[in-house]
This record gives sequence, C-alpha cells and structure tokens, in this order.
Amino acid sequence: MKRNCIAMLLAGGQGSRLYALTKDVAKPSVPFGGKYRIIDFPLSNCANSGIDVVGVLTQYRPLKLNSYIGSGQAYDLDSSDGGVFILPPYQSAGEKGSWFSGTANAIYQNMGFIENYNPDNVLILSGDHIYKMDYSEMLREHVQHEAACTISVIQVSMEEASRFGILSTGGDGYINEFEEKPKQPKSDLASMGIYIFNWQKLREYLIADENDPNSSKDFGKNIIPAMLAAGEKMWPYRFSGYWRDVGTITSLWDANMDMLSPTLINLHDPDWPIRSKSPIRPPHYAGPDSRISHSIVTEGCEIEGSVENSVLSSSVRVGRGARVVYSILMPGCRVEDGAVVEYAIIGENAVIHAGAHVGAQPDGSEGWSVATCGPDIEVGSGAVVKPGAMLYDSVPAGEGGESK
Amino acid sequence: MINLHGLILADRSSHELRELVMCRTSASLPYAGRYRLIDFALSSMQNALVRDVGVIMQQDYQSLLDHIGSGKEWDMSRKRGGLRLLPPFGLDDGRSQYSSIIDALISVQGYIRDIKQDYVCLCRGSLAANIDLAEVMKRHVSSGADVTVVCSERSPERRHYRFVADDNGYVSEMLMHRTGAGEGYASLEMYIMSKETMLGIIDRCDSAINRKFHRDGLGGILSGGGRIAVYIHPGYAVNIDTVDTYYRSNMDMLTAQNRRELFPDERPVRTKGRADVSTHYAEGASVKNCFVADGCYIEGSIENCIIFRGVEIHKGAVLKNCIIMQDTVIGSGAELSSVISDKDVTVGEFITLAGSPRVPLVLPKGSKI
Repeated sequence: MKRNCIAMLLAGGQGSRLYALTKDVAKPSVPFGGKYRIIDFPLSNCANSGIDVVGVLTQYRPLKLNSYIGSGQAYDLDSSDGGVFILPPYQSAGEKGSWFSGTANAIYQNMGFIENYNPDNVLILSGDHIYKMDYSEMLREHVQHEAACTISVIQVSMEEASRFGILSTGGDGYINEFEEKPKQPKSDLASMGIYIFNWQKLREYLIADENDPNSSKDFGKNIIPAMLAAGEKMWPYRFSGYWRDVGTITSLWDANMDMLSPTLINLHDPDWPIRSKSPIRPPHYAGPDSRISHSIVTEGCEIEGSVENSVLSSSVRVGRGARVVYSILMPGCRVEDGAVVEYAIIGENAVIHAGAHVGAQPDGSEGWSVATCGPDIEVGSGAVVKPGAMLYDSVPAGEGGESK
Repeated sequence: MINLHGLILADRSSHELRELVMCRTSASLPYAGRYRLIDFALSSMQNALVRDVGVIMQQDYQSLLDHIGSGKEWDMSRKRGGLRLLPPFGLDDGRSQYSSIIDALISVQGYIRDIKQDYVCLCRGSLAANIDLAEVMKRHVSSGADVTVVCSERSPERRHYRFVADDNGYVSEMLMHRTGAGEGYASLEMYIMSKETMLGIIDRCDSAINRKFHRDGLGGILSGGGRIAVYIHPGYAVNIDTVDTYYRSNMDMLTAQNRRELFPDERPVRTKGRADVSTHYAEGASVKNCFVADGCYIEGSIENCIIFRGVEIHKGAVLKNCIIMQDTVIGSGAELSSVISDKDVTVGEFITLAGSPRVPLVLPKGSKI
C-alpha cells in the first residue's frame, strides 16, 4: 500500500571506535542507558512519529540486532501492512551480489523494497545517536518547502564544528553549501545525518551515483554535494534538544552519564515513550548493606554493595563490599565481592572477580581515560585493569590488564 | 507441543482481601513489584508449552481483561486456539452468580467439551507459584492416575485441603478444611486430569446435593476405585486469599531463596509490559533490603519495602515495611510504616501513616491523602 513516507535505518556499520564493545555486535545493538539499545531511539521515534514502515539495513554482525528487533512488537510496529524489515545484502539471479559499499549503495541495493510502498518521501536514519525527534514535523517542513531533500541540523559550537558535516544557508533559508568536516567551518549548523528525500529525486541521484566509478557511494560525500551542485532545493530542519553521538568510548560513557540527569533528556515522557525489548526479569533487589546514590538501576539486578553515579542495565550483580563508581554496567555483568569498578564500561555478561580493580579516577594526566572490559570476559581475582585499558580478553587473577 | 489444556479459575476473590479486591478480582491483584497474580499460572503454562488456555471469569474482571489483553505477552495470541477469556454466560435462573468450582466448570461445560487436548490442567489464578507443569504432566501420564493434585510441603495457616499419600504416591485419604501443618500435604488446588475425567466430575456433581468439587468430585473418584496421585511442588507457593497472606507473601520476596524459587532462570514469569525507564536513585536516597521495579524515582529512604513500577518517593520520605503499588506518589517528608498502598495513590507531604506488620494499613486505589 502506498505511503507518504517510509524510513530506512542504516544499521550496517561496525562502530569500530567502540572496539571490544562491537567485536561481536553491530553498534546499534550496543546497550545504552539501563533499559535500551542504541537502535531503540530511532525506532521509537519512528513509531511515535507515525512512520509504520522501517527498513533496517544490516551488514556487520547482524545476529543480535535481528533477534532484538524481531517483528518490531516492542515498538508497536508489528502491523499487518507494514512494520520493521531487516534488509541484509542479497544476491539476484545472474548477479554475484555484493556487500553494501557505502550508505548510498545500501539504499540503492534496496530500491525494490522502497518501491513496494511507492512512497513520496524517504527518511534516512542512522543507528548511532541518542535523541527524541518528531520526524513528522520534519516531514511537514520538507513538504511545505517543496524540498528535494531536507537535512536535520543542530547548532554546535564553532570549536566542535570541524568534526561534523557543516551546512550554510542562503537568504531564502535554503541550504547553499555543504562541507564534510571542514577545517575552517563557515557556520555552526551541523548535519545530524537525518535526511528526508523526495523519493523520485533520490532515485535519480542514487542511480547516477552508482554509475560513477569514482564515487564512494556515501550520502554525505556524494549524494548531498551532487544534489547541491545541481541546484536542487535543500531545506535545513532546525532541531534543538538533546542529541548525542555515541560512536566512541568517551561519548558513549558521557551520554550514559547524561541519563542520570533527567533534565537533559526526559525518558519519562508518556507522549514520547522510548520503547525497548526488555529481558524478562523480576524487580531489582537492593540488600541490607547496599548503598545506591545518583544512579539508575534496572530490573533483575541484585545489589549488595555500593553504587554511585552509575548506570546499571538489567540483571547486573554487585557483591558485598564491592564499589561501582561513575561506571556503565551492561546487561548480565557481575561485580563480585570487594571488587572496585571506577570510571569504566563493563560489557555484557563480563565478570569482575572478587577484589579486582577496574579503572581509576581521573588524575589529570594525559593518558587517563575510561577503562573498558569487552563482553563475556573475566577479570580475575585481585587483577588490576588500568584506566584507558581496552580489554578484548580475560585477565588472569592477580595480573594487570592494559592491552589494546 | 504438550497434550495439555489450561483452565484458570479467575472467577471469585476471597472477601478477606478486603480493599485490595474492591476494584478487581484476586487474579489481577498486583504482586511482587511488577506482576499480577495470574501471571504465575499463565507463565507456568507457557513455560510448559501449553498453548490453549481458558480463563474463567465471573465478576469485576475489567482489570483482568486490561491486563491479559490478547494473551500476546504469554505467546497465547494465536490464529487458532491460544487464550480464551470465558466471561459469565447469562443464565435466567440466576446461576451466573455462582460460588463454587463446580458451578464455574458447569458454566463453561460447552468450552470444556470442545477442548482439543486429551488432558486439562485446572488451577487458581490467585496462586503465587512457579510450577514445572511439564514435569507434573509427565508424572501424571506415567503414573496412570485419574487425577494428579499438586501439593506443597508448606502448610498455610488458613483453611485448606490436605492429601495423605501412600508409599507409591497415591492418595489414601483426603482431609477437608484443615489449618496449619498436619498429616499429608497441603493442596495447591492445581489438578491435571483427562478431559473425560473432568467431564465425569462435572456430570457427577451437577445435582443439588452433590455439588462439591473436592467432596463429591474427587471423593467420588476415590470411592469409585480411581486413583489420585500427589505431586509435591518443591518451590515457593502461596495462595493469596487474605490481606495478611498478601502482605507476608510480598515480604517473602526479600529473601533470596524465595526469589530464586518464584523466579527461576529456566522458567521466566512474564507480565504485561510497560515502556518504563530504569529506576532512578537520586543523591541522598537510601535503600535497604528492598525489591524495586523499573520506572521509579527514589529520593527518600526505603527499608524492607516492595516498590512497584512508576512509584515516586520524594525527598525526606521514610518508608518501612511497605508495599507501594504502581504509580503511587509519596510526598516529601511523609513517613509510612507497614502500609499497603494500592495503585495511583497520592500521599501528601509530611503525612504519617502507620499500620503494623500483623495488621497493615491498606490505602485503596486512587486515594489522596
């Protein structure tokens, strides 16, 4: 059935700057903020914005993501005539088939899916940001300004601007310039990587781009500049509100810490719920000697020790006398009796054995940063994991771990 | 798939649950932080791969309907079969206001006749127990008994039925209306029998004088030479039928052993989901020996409490030995001890409310204090 707008969510990237955390899973399925995985944010935004067809493009380690999204039931997207569709690369008769070679190529390869719904517009999303946005507002502006493409933008500080794709606008309000990570930014409007395209236009540009052997098949590098050069109407949709990239260890840690301040992003809002597929666990239990302060704790946790300024996902255990400070504990991980976890990210189902010490407070030195333990690893009793460490493998009892 | 059909009695509530069943039946009573009692019967069935389940309802079932919905949470929303809600059928002779198990079964006789499976599991929606039904079913079939009754080694103080078993595990005697411990095992009023046996019991009891499920139905099987097998459920089990059992059973969840028995990893208990966030403990919050669900905001002090989803406890509030149901708000500086607060209650600032552990104070749903 025809749709006004469908969404395509690019979830194929590895997220290599999360290192051990994305060793076995794609970035969008990395746990976030206690109850969530990163992909819950764009998918919930779609459901709340009334977009009921979402294609999720997967490529890197999609197993976890596929089983997590399932039929989209958690987002109320499991409708009979629409829903969430996982779109992996595929082969066609007489062709070899190929991996998605860039963001634009991923959409190009799935034009058949999009045409099924004969949409007027296509919303392109990525699975690596934490934000709440009403895409229907953006669509309204897109239609109102008869744009070929609308790009969601946010104001950033001039210092940060060189990390983003930066847009400049002309006197009529339309975009007249786009620069990817400029050394000398001309404006402070950063692209959020969220685009709405007129589908017929996008189709033309995707085909042209595919036939260009020199193109890297990327929206930011190729499609957007090509459209601008051709004089298409490109409108900036100005977003203000909480929006964070979680592509690096530091930004992932920072954004998780933001969840401790409900004033930054209100996840309690009944009109804009962020939905997730929760594991089936009973309420959390806090023992007689537990101390929990300025932290969020999720169902299934058992806490006997002390937890401060931390984010605990489902089914985390903190043993007696253990101390968790300024840390992110992902689902199922265990901090045994007397262990200390400071300024650290502990991956899913990792075990910090009794008396081990992971991470340290900032000491002002250059080399200091958040320590990370990859999923499923074990840090042996009494072992010490230094700040800034990135553990892919277990550390035996009593040893120090700082391997990258 | 298992050759077993589920039949859950959610028809009546014990009057001794007082205010707690003013606006609901006991099967939909909130329990253990995020559940309704019927979740345990439904999950026990789901975990045994029972896929067709009938829920017998009689009155005050709006909240139950709202909770169960299509049965999707328990994978029982199916094209064919799945969950069937059985509301009362208007009978001219006033029998729709029945009061016994037999009356309930008679009211859904047609449904029972149409059951596709050969065996039926009958149980109460107010039983808080996580029962390995697949194992009970296996034992039932291999024992060759007409009926298997699930019993517990723990004996309630309240009036209950007891079954005395011989060395082979078959019932030699049925004891009516006992209190406390004694000979035999306490019945959890969960039974597995063949569909034919169940129809036979209904038939035998469908007369004015022989209308008792236990005395005439099960008793009739025993006196007719039939066999009843006893299955001892090894874990936690309480039938919630008074404010006292409700209060104490919730408090039982503060003990690790009880939590493990009611929520074993291999048999998860499912309930209706809400899009809740994690619980937020503010700076200065204090929590000791508490069982807390998601979506709460806790700024005050809580000790020995069961806190349901979406509860707010503001600065300086002190709660001891309380059960606080979903979306209740406790104002700053309030002091509550041994209080059961129903859903959506608001307790104003600096208000002091106290019950005692033996007689907890119950705040009805939606009250503003």
